Amino acid sequence: MRAQHLDKTYVVAGKTLPVLEDFSLIVPTDTITALVGPSGCGKTTFLRLVGELEQPDRGSITKNGKEEGPISYLFQEPRLLPWHTVLANVELVLRPFGADHHERTAKAMEFIELVGLADYAKFKPEQLSGGMRQRVAIARAFAYPGRMMLLDEPFQSLDSSLRWSLVKAFLRLWEADKRTTVYVTHDVQEAVLMADTVIRLSSRPMRIIERHDIDTPRNDRSLGDPAFIALQAAFYT
Amino acid sequence: MMLLGIWQVGATLLDASVILPTPAETFRALARLLSRPPLALQVMATVGRAIRSFLIIFAVGTALGILAGYARPVHAFLQPLLVICKATPVMSVILLAFIWFSSGTVPLFSAFLMGFPVMFVQVEQGVRLISPQLHEMTVLYGFSSRMRLFHLVIPSLTPSIITGAKASLSMVWKVVIAAEVLTVPRYGVGSRMQMAQVNLETAEVLAWTLVAIFLTAVGDMLFLAILKLPKHIRAARASMKEMMR
Repeated sequence: MRAQHLDKTYVVAGKTLPVLEDFSLIVPTDTITALVGPSGCGKTTFLRLVGELEQPDRGSITKNGKEEGPISYLFQEPRLLPWHTVLANVELVLRPFGADHHERTAKAMEFIELVGLADYAKFKPEQLSGGMRQRVAIARAFAYPGRMMLLDEPFQSLDSSLRWSLVKAFLRLWEADKRTTVYVTHDVQEAVLMADTVIRLSSRPMRIIERHDIDTPRNDRSLGDPAFIALQAAFYT
Repeated sequence: MMLLGIWQVGATLLDASVILPTPAETFRALARLLSRPPLALQVMATVGRAIRSFLIIFAVGTALGILAGYARPVHAFLQPLLVICKATPVMSVILLAFIWFSSGTVPLFSAFLMGFPVMFVQVEQGVRLISPQLHEMTVLYGFSSRMRLFHLVIPSLTPSIITGAKASLSMVWKVVIAAEVLTVPRYGVGSRMQMAQVNLETAEVLAWTLVAIFLTAVGDMLFLAILKLPKHIRAARASMKEMMR
């Protein structure tokens, strides 16, 4: 995915707010690119442009054949339909892709099992904890045949042990079904554990400060590894 | 019970059944009404009008409410009409309608004009409360308009629809009967009330009033029962499944 010379300005209460100015970024196919930057720097805006929820004022986003099409999005909140069960929430997003009810249910169940919620398929979101709800959202994102994945700080609101278990659940599913992924976060540790490329961003208007490609296989990464500590330190300076 | 006591004492003190008949007289009148043959016809005429106007209000109010919630022009077009509707006295609506329509249609029309704004405003405000985040999710996950309607809009609106339906239902009974009193269609609780009043049969007026109260109460109960229906069906289905195992 190639974003070139993007401009995006918002007008808030009569004031113009330039969020993106001539922003360009290349995200290699079937990799995870993490965007790390301070809150309000324009990361979410960038995701919304990639997700075609909004149009840039200038510039273009080009996707290759494998990336063109529907998009799986993980939000900061789970965004589940509260009146539907866990199963129905996942099954619903498969409807536009046909198949009969049984096939869809089977596929939805498969992903619900993969995130460890098989026993909760008939529960309503309100009966689940925050972490479980976010797992359902992960199952939905992977069940949905999105050609790209956009993640907007989906693990941020959870406590740390829960966060790592969700990160692991996410990576397990992702390794089995790789899709070009843009992952927005302000957590450097999460970024270095998950991403193939970590990009450090400035505050508004957003610019790339530096780009780190991480070659270590994801399974061998550990936050205690000196190389990773150095990398994290670089981000905090 | 206490109300009955006060009524009895008041009626005894006044000692004029034209002004305030005793409860006993009223219940005798009620018994007379209930045993007179066209009773079912009278009651069913009123019930039929109430149900029809309620269903029309429900359908039109919900549909236009959703439309106006999403489309500013529809809102802008309906807003002044709504203000007029709300400000017009019930009686002038009925009198005007009587000039325009036959006596059987007047109750329907008047009930619609009175009940529709209540339903409409509830639904329209409900649309504003639909979560923009969930809406965005349905856009990203490729929901069709139909799917969005059935899985986001209608479930989100259910509380508003219920509130609006409840309020307009209790209004419908009153307006329908009031319109019947003024226009005296051939059959109807309101028509009978008017006849009794003309003949100074106060006990009968009160008896018909009791019938009207009873109808309203039964209507509310039925409405609540219908609301609980899906829950019962689900429970029954679940226990059926248990038994099959």
